[in-house]
Amino acid sequence: MSTAEWARLSSDAFNVALFSYIAAMVVSFAYLAFRRDRLHTVATVIGVVGLVANGLSILARGIAAGRTPWGNMYEYSSLLTFLIVLGYLWIVEARGKVRTVGGFVYAMAVLTMAMAVSFFYVGPTALMPALNSYWRQIHVTSMIVASSLLGVGCLFTIVYLLKLASERRGVAKLQGQIPPPIMGAAIDTSDPSVPPDYAAGADEPVGSADVGPRRIGLPPSATLDGLAYTFIRFGFPVWTFGVICGAIWAQQTWGRYWGWDPKETWSFITWVIFAGYLHARATSGWKGTRAAIVALIGFVSLLITYYAVNLWIAGLHSYST
Amino acid sequence: MSTPDGSRSTFRRSVAVVWRTLRSMRTAIILLLMLAAASAVGSLLPQLPNSPERVAAYQVDHVVWGTFFSTAGFFDVFGSWWFGLITGLLFVSLVACLLPRSRALWRAARARPIQARELEAFPSFAERRVTAAPDAAIAGAMKVLRRKRYRVELDPGRAAAAAEKGFLREIGSLAFHWAFLVLLVAVIVGKGTGYVGRATIVEGQGWVDARLNYDGDLRTGRFFSGGFSGTGITLVDFEDAYRDTGIPMDFHSHLQLFNPDGSYGRDADVRINHPAVFNGIRIFQYGFGWAAMMQVHEGDRVLFDGPVVLGQDTPAGENPLAQPWVGVIKLPSLRPQQAVVLELFPDAEAYFRSLQTGVPQPMTQANAPFIRYQVWKGRLLDASQSGLDTRFMHATTSGVLGRDWTVDLDRGCAISGPDGAALTSVAGVACPDAGGPAALTMSFPELRQYSRLQISRDATIPYVLAAAILIVLGLLPALYVSRRKVWVRARPDGTGSIVQVGGFALQRKDRFDEEFAGLVDAVVAAAGTPATEPAAAVSP
Repeated sequence: MSTAEWARLSSDAFNVALFSYIAAMVVSFAYLAFRRDRLHTVATVIGVVGLVANGLSILARGIAAGRTPWGNMYEYSSLLTFLIVLGYLWIVEARGKVRTVGGFVYAMAVLTMAMAVSFFYVGPTALMPALNSYWRQIHVTSMIVASSLLGVGCLFTIVYLLKLASERRGVAKLQGQIPPPIMGAAIDTSDPSVPPDYAAGADEPVGSADVGPRRIGLPPSATLDGLAYTFIRFGFPVWTFGVICGAIWAQQTWGRYWGWDPKETWSFITWVIFAGYLHARATSGWKGTRAAIVALIGFVSLLITYYAVNLWIAGLHSYST
Repeated sequence: MSTPDGSRSTFRRSVAVVWRTLRSMRTAIILLLMLAAASAVGSLLPQLPNSPERVAAYQVDHVVWGTFFSTAGFFDVFGSWWFGLITGLLFVSLVACLLPRSRALWRAARARPIQARELEAFPSFAERRVTAAPDAAIAGAMKVLRRKRYRVELDPGRAAAAAEKGFLREIGSLAFHWAFLVLLVAVIVGKGTGYVGRATIVEGQGWVDARLNYDGDLRTGRFFSGGFSGTGITLVDFEDAYRDTGIPMDFHSHLQLFNPDGSYGRDADVRINHPAVFNGIRIFQYGFGWAAMMQVHEGDRVLFDGPVVLGQDTPAGENPLAQPWVGVIKLPSLRPQQAVVLELFPDAEAYFRSLQTGVPQPMTQANAPFIRYQVWKGRLLDASQSGLDTRFMHATTSGVLGRDWTVDLDRGCAISGPDGAALTSVAGVACPDAGGPAALTMSFPELRQYSRLQISRDATIPYVLAAAILIVLGLLPALYVSRRKVWVRARPDGTGSIVQVGGFALQRKDRFDEEFAGLVDAVVAAAGTPATEPAAAVSP
């Protein structure tokens, strides 16, 4: 196959992946709403198809460009999406047995890919010589891996906050009843406002007093919080490593390991905020909501590091816009 | 009311309050977030050290805000007093936190695991009947625990033992934090005592590391002593390679390095991503360009003989390789003073192709290079080779010259050099009386390249790197190792004994349940399970 054909294949596979993720997102949200096992199976199958297409797109891109396919923002985004979906399917669905948050993950993947095509698309070309170093490979790979881990962690934080709010509403509602029922034990299953799968046990623990006709079937908040922590705790050292590799590369290329270039500054800001998050989790009075808010600030900072710096702030890292 | 004693204790108490506040994690988190916010300001507003011209433009566009930001130090965040204050407080907070923790770790590491009384009260607890006698059962359990890398302590006199594991977590965490501290200090010392500058060296010429020899933008650290290394650098040869598309592929300076006393040091090849380190300074490939070797004569008198370093002023969005290279020769000794502005086209063929096709072609190689020149007469405002201020000058003659040509600057025509074809191709004009005497002549014997090198000294780089490595190495156990404590005791029961195991994990509690179950099984296996009786197990 010629270079042009590989490039064509890459962008076709990219589109297949994008539309698969959109479909998987819709079906996942449908599963969340209706709780039919078949919907979950369909969502997972579509998700895997998207993942394969995404991987194929990255591979073909690499062959077309004749180098590792993460040299510009479009390519990072494609790889980032791949890792987000892979991490979700593998760690959360297969190992963690949590099925209800897929829609949010696919939504994130779709947004990342859509941003990539709309703002960052460039054809597969060779790189500037400054970008040619094996430190680039290590730096960029770890930054993408870390971004996907931190991003997924923050996504779980958002879902955690939503779930926490709904749990609190549920508790408040139970407390308002006269006589107040003993939590979890006194739910009247004949009450039509209690959804049927609650009575059937489902995968809800008894303590999660989540009643009401529009209950969304998310895992309990403690599970979501734990998932968020797992991802961020994994992502943070990788981010640290990636920033250090970037500094080594900068030392080689620009003769200084740190120069407060916007991308450097923002990766530092993100690092500092997530360091704050890890400290907050270990501090009484900061656990739970406050730590989650720190993580959300970190998420905003991550998005700025990833997108805004390239789109709006000029610097040494604005190579692909 | 306030006796000397009382005031001292008040003072002491307030110091204690400040110290306690600084030690608290809350303060550390808030300081971290403030550091993040300050850095964000630094990246959103233009910064003086990086882009002074954008700061100036901002101040012109936003007079009120510009003045406010300027007073508040927002245009030099990373050098401002309040950024220093935040970093300093974080520093103190870190030390205030780390000292007691390090001391506690030191003590805990030397202390033996402490015995416990009520094993039933621990989050994980199991009780099993075994065939071995109490002492033998405890000895077996200790062996099992040691094999699992627990630190084990026998309770003398009673059949009981205490064990703990996971000091690596605290060690890692402390290593991470101390390394972060070392990193900060090393960065401040390294940047503060070092310098960064750029040197332009033409092929075949030498350069010495001294303040005056740098291009305009030399940056020295706050604590820089003023001692430059005196290292000599000679550019033997510069090579650049391009892909077919005109995208740069490799830049490569072949250097000879000399010691400060002038003796030859060694050769070095410097290319992008491959700096050279010599005599405490680092030499990086930064840029390159063309240098025209020019001679200007007034009659027989040499007015100028040497390289003219040519630069580019590329409009945004244009390929710089397709643009001409510009430089100036200043002749201050003439009356009126004169200057010749040169515009070099290194590749005539590519240039004409771009004229024909309308598509700018990159001029990457020297291929029949030619220079357009423009003579200015009047008053020179500065003698430097960069830029020409023409406010007190007027343009006179202009013309073209190719390599090995000599032109008459007064009349703007070629005296010698070109054959007819070369002359017409670049639209040059031959002087009607070629070969005759001329007052002011300029010749272009040779085209060379120059290399722009970045020279820097930063003495603490190895420490920064070591600290960075320690940060990553410390982070992993700090986040993933958990501290666990386990106690075992046995009491006689018939021919065998009943073994109790209790314990807990301080972190990663969900994982401990599984580990604990395995531990209990191993302890029981080591002490022998009674064949007939079912094990009495209790576990919450």
